[in-house]
Amino acid sequence: MMREHRSLIVWPSLIAAGVLAVACTDQPSVSMAPNRPSFWVAPPPCPAAKFTGGGRIDPPHPDPDPADRAPGTPGPAERPPIVGKTTFGFNVFLGTDGSGHCIVTKGEIQVVHHPSKTRWHVSIHNGVDDFGETVFASTYNAGRCVLVGLDGMTARVNGQAGSELTRMSACDKGEPGSSPGFGPDSWRWETLATANTPSTAPSGDTDQTLLTGGNIQAH
Amino acid sequence: MKAMKTQWVYRFAALGLLSSLTAGFTAAGVAQSVSGQAYGAYANTPLGSVGQTALAVLPPVSGTDGAIATAESDGGSVGGVLSADFLNSNTTGALGTQGDPSAASAQSVASLGNVDILSGLITATGVVANVVSTRTASGLVSNANGSTLTNLAIAGVGSLAGDQPVAPNTNISLPGVGYVVLNEQIPSGDGVSSSGLTVNMIHVYLQSVIGGVCTPLGCLPGTVTKTGEIIVGSASSTVAM
Repeated sequence: MMREHRSLIVWPSLIAAGVLAVACTDQPSVSMAPNRPSFWVAPPPCPAAKFTGGGRIDPPHPDPDPADRAPGTPGPAERPPIVGKTTFGFNVFLGTDGSGHCIVTKGEIQVVHHPSKTRWHVSIHNGVDDFGETVFASTYNAGRCVLVGLDGMTARVNGQAGSELTRMSACDKGEPGSSPGFGPDSWRWETLATANTPSTAPSGDTDQTLLTGGNIQAH
Repeated sequence: MKAMKTQWVYRFAALGLLSSLTAGFTAAGVAQSVSGQAYGAYANTPLGSVGQTALAVLPPVSGTDGAIATAESDGGSVGGVLSADFLNSNTTGALGTQGDPSAASAQSVASLGNVDILSGLITATGVVANVVSTRTASGLVSNANGSTLTNLAIAGVGSLAGDQPVAPNTNISLPGVGYVVLNEQIPSGDGVSSSGLTVNMIHVYLQSVIGGVCTPLGCLPGTVTKTGEIIVGSASSTVAM
């Protein structure tokens, strides 16, 4: 009798504790990450390359070398253009996942679009972004260029204000990357899909654009 | 005879091993380094002060590696000394490239908007400080390409419309206040063993005159003393071999 009584107390207590634990967890029950497009094909393996860079672009000022535009990405006229002063900094490490696909193992990207006062920030740890999604990548143009986020990577927009699915391309064409004048290095930022994004944030594509300042290094 | 031959073989092998080890040490011993820093605003004045805000400092980089630091701030104000918004800084650096382990590069960017210095004395709707230091075929170089001021206005002096570069080290007197240096560029290194550059897009030097007396025979000048400074948009980078 006593044992039955204990069970009556213990089991509801455990269930209540479990419900409470689930309710108090930091994990959001609904993902705020934008949905990813389904048109992409998983990338092949890639060498353990690293790309680092920072600087400025002022689109429209397109890179005239067609080889610098990542294969499979849209042309410049296919999405709304993102124009005006844009500064950036990034550091990405490439590796191959268990399925033989090229991924970003760790990295960080900061992008600032000044006309709209929009700030994107991507953090990648252990192969996944802040929203737990794998960030696929590929190198092209004889390893001098990298495409990060083949099917997108989720960036936080203006701190915690929102999130967007984004993609970055960067090409290291010489040293220094921005002297004299524009290029030879180039960089591109695309927004692919939005979720809970501030209405002032631009959506579209800077196109592959020659650097006004800064440098990109494949290493 | 055979023993002697074997001895020589060992000696050559030892020499070869020593050479390869030495070569390895030489390659590994290249004293490459990169450093960088960027911040949006700093003020140290009698009216109020603020530390380097939105400060990003490049972590140590070793081997053939890369690093990044970022900092962001929505902005703020320090009395009538300085106000700004949308401060963003990043600094990145890398050592070694594919096929060139001696490559090195560092780049830093600081930007901010709606700058107001000393209650409207100097205003700008945007500031970007952008520096890069890197190794080229002809040596180590640094530049500040991409550094601009947007809609700059200096009371009693004039204004610049739009987003424009300003000539390096443009010095403008601010009567009763001191002077301002626009696009202040402070290079370092010899271009062979190292190269670095610091750019401060707006650097206000506050001054006051202490002493000085006038008599019927004439005036003795006082001593100009620096009483404070305000820096807006600062970026630095350095590479060394």
